[in-house]
Amino acid sequence: MDTLIFLLIVLTFVAMWRGKHRAAGVLFVLALVAMLLLFRHHATDTLPISL
Amino acid sequence: MNAIRAILAMFSILAVCGVLLGALVAQLRGDMPCPLCILQRMAMLLCVAGPAWLLARSWRREVDAIDYAQCYGASIIAALAGATMSGRQVLIHIAPGDPGYGEPMLGMHLYSWAFVVFATVILVSGLHMLALPRRAERLPLAGASRAVVGLAIAIAAINLVAVFLEEGFHAVLPDNPTEYRLLDDLGLRSEEAPPASSETPAP
Repeated sequence: MDTLIFLLIVLTFVAMWRGKHRAAGVLFVLALVAMLLLFRHHATDTLPISL
Repeated sequence: MNAIRAILAMFSILAVCGVLLGALVAQLRGDMPCPLCILQRMAMLLCVAGPAWLLARSWRREVDAIDYAQCYGASIIAALAGATMSGRQVLIHIAPGDPGYGEPMLGMHLYSWAFVVFATVILVSGLHMLALPRRAERLPLAGASRAVVGLAIAIAAINLVAVFLEEGFHAVLPDNPTEYRLLDDLGLRSEEAPPASSETPAP
């Protein structure tokens, strides 16, 4: 999962570099959402938290 | 003024890239990053993506206030997510007597520095947006900005390799990683000899 998110981030930068700004925006949002889902997994499953 | 905006965007990228390079150096010295540390690296790269996106847009056309707002807005969102993660890790280790995770660097642990970085990104992005241009402008120093964005891409790629080495073909990282699991997955790690006992054998 972590590897895939870093891959999304690298692809975001590559899309920016090549001028594919709409694709870069989509990849940015995908990476952000995946990162937050992974954080939720670590915050609730492996490191219990209560609010 | 547009030159100052270009330089500030490049400086924003270089500052965060410097922190990411410091984290990679700590990893090379044996300080294995935990899952939350890796998440904070992701958030830092997404913070960098904002100004990098602005510079990349300026290579092909003039940029206006909407471009600035979109790019620095993206940085602020990523920084808020990163501050949540680093704040979470600070809170985990906030109890008195807790040694924290990893070795401190310049007096603070890496996750504490990360919180400072995310707060600074939010502050600097807000300052950028206070001085938006009133009309579209072309940003100078395209060659330098290509070099800076290229550096950010290189650091993102190095992090991709580093985390693949650490995670291997598993779904998530362990809570306290101690080794590069890809080497085990591929069967490249040799069996280590048991540590020699320092005690003298009984007569």
